[in-house]
Amino acid sequence: MADVSQVPVTVLTGFLGAGKTTLLNRILTEQHGRRYAVVINEFGELGVDNDLVVDADEEVFEMNNGCICCTVRGDLIRILGALFRRRGKFDGIIIETTGLANPAPVAQTFFVDENLRTHAKLDAILTVVDACNLPARLADSPEASAQIAFADIIILNKTDLVTPGQLDAVEARVRGINPLARIIRAERAAVPVPELLDRGAFDLDRILAMDPDFLTHDEHGHSEGVNSVSFEVSRPVDPEKFQAWMGQLLQEKGADLLRTKGILEHPNEDRRFAFQAVHMIADGDYVGKWKEGVPRKSKLVFIGRDLNRPQLRRGFEACQVGA
Amino acid sequence: MSSSRLEYLLASRGMVRELDGFVVAACFDASGTVASFGMGDGTQHLARVGETDPWVRHVVHEGGLLALAPDVTPGSFISGGDDGFFRRLRANGDIDDIASFGSRWVEHVTSFVDAKSGLLACSERKTVHLFDRDGRKLKSLDHPSTVAGIGFDAKGKRVAAAHYNGATLWFVAAKTDSPRKLEWKGSHTGVVIHPDGTAVVTSMQENALHGWRLTDGQNMRMSGYPAKTAFMSFSRNGKWLATSGADAVVLWPFFGGGPMGKAPTELAGGAGVICTAVACHPLQDVVAAGFADGMVVLIDIGTGRILPGAPPGGGSVSAMAWNSTGAWLAFGTEDGRAALIDLTAREG
Repeated sequence: MADVSQVPVTVLTGFLGAGKTTLLNRILTEQHGRRYAVVINEFGELGVDNDLVVDADEEVFEMNNGCICCTVRGDLIRILGALFRRRGKFDGIIIETTGLANPAPVAQTFFVDENLRTHAKLDAILTVVDACNLPARLADSPEASAQIAFADIIILNKTDLVTPGQLDAVEARVRGINPLARIIRAERAAVPVPELLDRGAFDLDRILAMDPDFLTHDEHGHSEGVNSVSFEVSRPVDPEKFQAWMGQLLQEKGADLLRTKGILEHPNEDRRFAFQAVHMIADGDYVGKWKEGVPRKSKLVFIGRDLNRPQLRRGFEACQVGA
Repeated sequence: MSSSRLEYLLASRGMVRELDGFVVAACFDASGTVASFGMGDGTQHLARVGETDPWVRHVVHEGGLLALAPDVTPGSFISGGDDGFFRRLRANGDIDDIASFGSRWVEHVTSFVDAKSGLLACSERKTVHLFDRDGRKLKSLDHPSTVAGIGFDAKGKRVAAAHYNGATLWFVAAKTDSPRKLEWKGSHTGVVIHPDGTAVVTSMQENALHGWRLTDGQNMRMSGYPAKTAFMSFSRNGKWLATSGADAVVLWPFFGGGPMGKAPTELAGGAGVICTAVACHPLQDVVAAGFADGMVVLIDIGTGRILPGAPPGGGSVSAMAWNSTGAWLAFGTEDGRAALIDLTAREG
């Protein structure tokens, strides 16, 4: 079944009032030549007539797979399973989550359910944040930092409501939580739609382009409790050592590790190995060849709480061949 | 399984159409003479068995068709769609709304076909709605979470619904609705009731089945599947529960104290291809099985003898049903292959 084409799925998160619905209306009304099926939660708010809008209850349940933090969205398994039978009717799927939702169950659903894995690929987690209210949300709600931590793309919206100095400060805080996401500033959610959808942002290639020095600074303002660390090693990574180390790490610390992403060089392998995890659920695959003439380096990024930098570094370094 | 030298029933006694879209469900009408193939594009394609008439396409739902079952009246079918309608397609091609639920999908439909009484049921979100044979609403039954599967027992006295953390069993005719709650943690995605009414079995998100023996409430755990079980079908006398979801047809023994502590019987395995659909013959210990490569086989449960039904091709088998006499088998695939196999001569 290798020839089944995978539908790109975009997950849209953000607090109530951040501008999610405005953005969704833009996506559905602008002429960009692509059709989207939309799974929403606040039906009726959407002022758009679209026969592919699905009204969903966020039904989260625990998997009995021995993974203590593994919750998934049962409604998405059912709804997307049915949508896949209407092939050719749409080019992509957008899933809107309610403002207070933790994005982990949505992301985990795409790792855990075989039917979804076969037919869909998580293209990006898109988080809309309100530049004006974000500091207050970060202070009063743990979901706010989780939504930023999980994002591949962050739309820093309502930039017209803050001063340039406040905007820079808010962006720095967002960056402190999630150094990997692309940040797009916007007023009234006015973002070119092609910049957001079907970008393959969940692909891990962007990690390669990341400047590791950027992350070696100590992050400021840990009040959110969520931050990130990244590491780079220059010798190939032994797949078995890595799996053993990562497996144990996710088992013990998975609840605090919101997202883990890496690009690894395996010995005697021309292709790059992309690794990612959401909490305890991990996934990996080869994603194309290393560039000729450029030194190969394995990189690993953790976004989470209570990250022990020296311990993680030693662990990763010990995975190298000959270490 | 090498397919080149086998003689497939489909070639010698079959009817095949390559339809546009995904075959969501297939079933026969109450008389067993008309087959319907329900499609992901909202249509039904009707085929009269044993006749060369062109198949007739009806647009029944504006969105996708989600579920299909025979109506109590011969020649007629009931279906649910993501347009929020629970509809009846009549033999003359007329379409009636039995009920409509706005933006809520009608995800499951089923019927109890009986000459005298007969019942219809559908589910949307957390509610199962019961109707009499004429489509008059009898009652609505609420559940703690979205209903993921419904089924009547063999006598039409009870209806079961699968949902999170278990299943609920209702008496259709009860004046006060106090259902039997069958609890087991996790997401239950489909449900069947044993033909003699003594057990309820659900399929689960975790590639396993769960069962409850109703006489003493004992739990039955049936696990070890590499994939999700989409089809469960009891053999005619309830001795075996045939299931999809493994690289063989997995049959659990419901006799001799089983299935608790018993290993299942695996048939038609060995090719490394996942079985995606099963349907037990209504009168004999025979099970039809469809696979992810499109192959269909018929298996004698007692001897394990395999009769090749259809060669690989057309995508994963996604729909399968026998007619009431067991003379015809219908199946459909994800890529739109729809077929009927005539088994009349073998039943003599």
